[in-house]
Amino acid sequence: MGMEFLIANILVLILTVVASLVAVLLRDLLAAAVAMAAMSLLLSLEFFILQAPDVAIAEAGVGACLSTAIVIIAIKGTKRTEDE
Amino acid sequence: MSGMSKIVKTSVNILFPLTMIFGLYVIAHGHLTPGGGFQGGAIVASGCAMIVVAYGSKWVFKQIKEKRLSSFESIGGVGFITVALLGLVFSSVFFGNFLAGSNLLFGTTPATGSTGADFNTGGVLPLMNFAVGVKVIAGLFVIVLVMAYASSVKEWDT
Amino acid sequence: MEKRTIVAVLVFAIVAVFFFFSIFLIHPFGKPGQVNMDDHIIANTQNETGTNNGVTSVVFDYRGFDTLGEATILFSAVAGVLMIFRRVKQ
Repeated sequence: MGMEFLIANILVLILTVVASLVAVLLRDLLAAAVAMAAMSLLLSLEFFILQAPDVAIAEAGVGACLSTAIVIIAIKGTKRTEDE
Repeated sequence: MSGMSKIVKTSVNILFPLTMIFGLYVIAHGHLTPGGGFQGGAIVASGCAMIVVAYGSKWVFKQIKEKRLSSFESIGGVGFITVALLGLVFSSVFFGNFLAGSNLLFGTTPATGSTGADFNTGGVLPLMNFAVGVKVIAGLFVIVLVMAYASSVKEWDT
Repeated sequence: MEKRTIVAVLVFAIVAVFFFFSIFLIHPFGKPGQVNMDDHIIANTQNETGTNNGVTSVVFDYRGFDTLGEATILFSAVAGVLMIFRRVKQ
């Protein structure tokens, strides 16, 4: 593996961790759902860098679109902000 | 969700056929390119979820009922198990690949090594891809549709 | 501090230490430990299943029961969702 491969790998992994931390720490649940979708998309990019395009397509379809849609539907049925 | 603005509807009208074509391409070429039944079905179900978001679940519920989608899902599962049982009948192994190398439907054997893509290969794998694709499309779409409709009506007893 | 919090922190620390030391024990990237089955699949997938895509041949042919279990999971998920959100006729 080359040097640019390693740099892209580490950058995408750091961005994934940052996006999941944002999804945990946000009080607005709709913004947290969008951050979770961004985390899932970055994870699918990481799978693609690791040469697993099957898993990348499945992760992008299910994780970034369908699970976000289900979470947003659940937020619409309840409250938008998190209680403290 | 009772429909969004005209801009969103026009954008979805343009994007929906492209998503459909890409998802069906991934299902149909599952034995040649990365992807397969589950991945292509997830892409097509994402396009259908886009329709649900843009037009509202009540409008979609008028077009198609959830019982019909549920029976499509069961048809996909029954087709998958039927192909596996045909493998048990013809090649004496459950999930046996009885069409590979038989020069029938999808029966051509590719040359060993790095070869060009031939659509007429793969044995029972394209049939299984198609069955699993139908199953995943109907299953994921009916989950999203029913949850959206249940959260949009106040009294769920009509 | 509550007793529950102390127990939670202890369990988390122990699991984190195990995960941290297991990083140094995994084999290097791109070098699998057991290569017999990988070599057999890579060498024979075009003759045995007639497919150019090795991943699909593993998913649907060599490991078909795994896909059958996945289909069962999806079927039970759809059945559960439709049972929870069913329309009750009075």
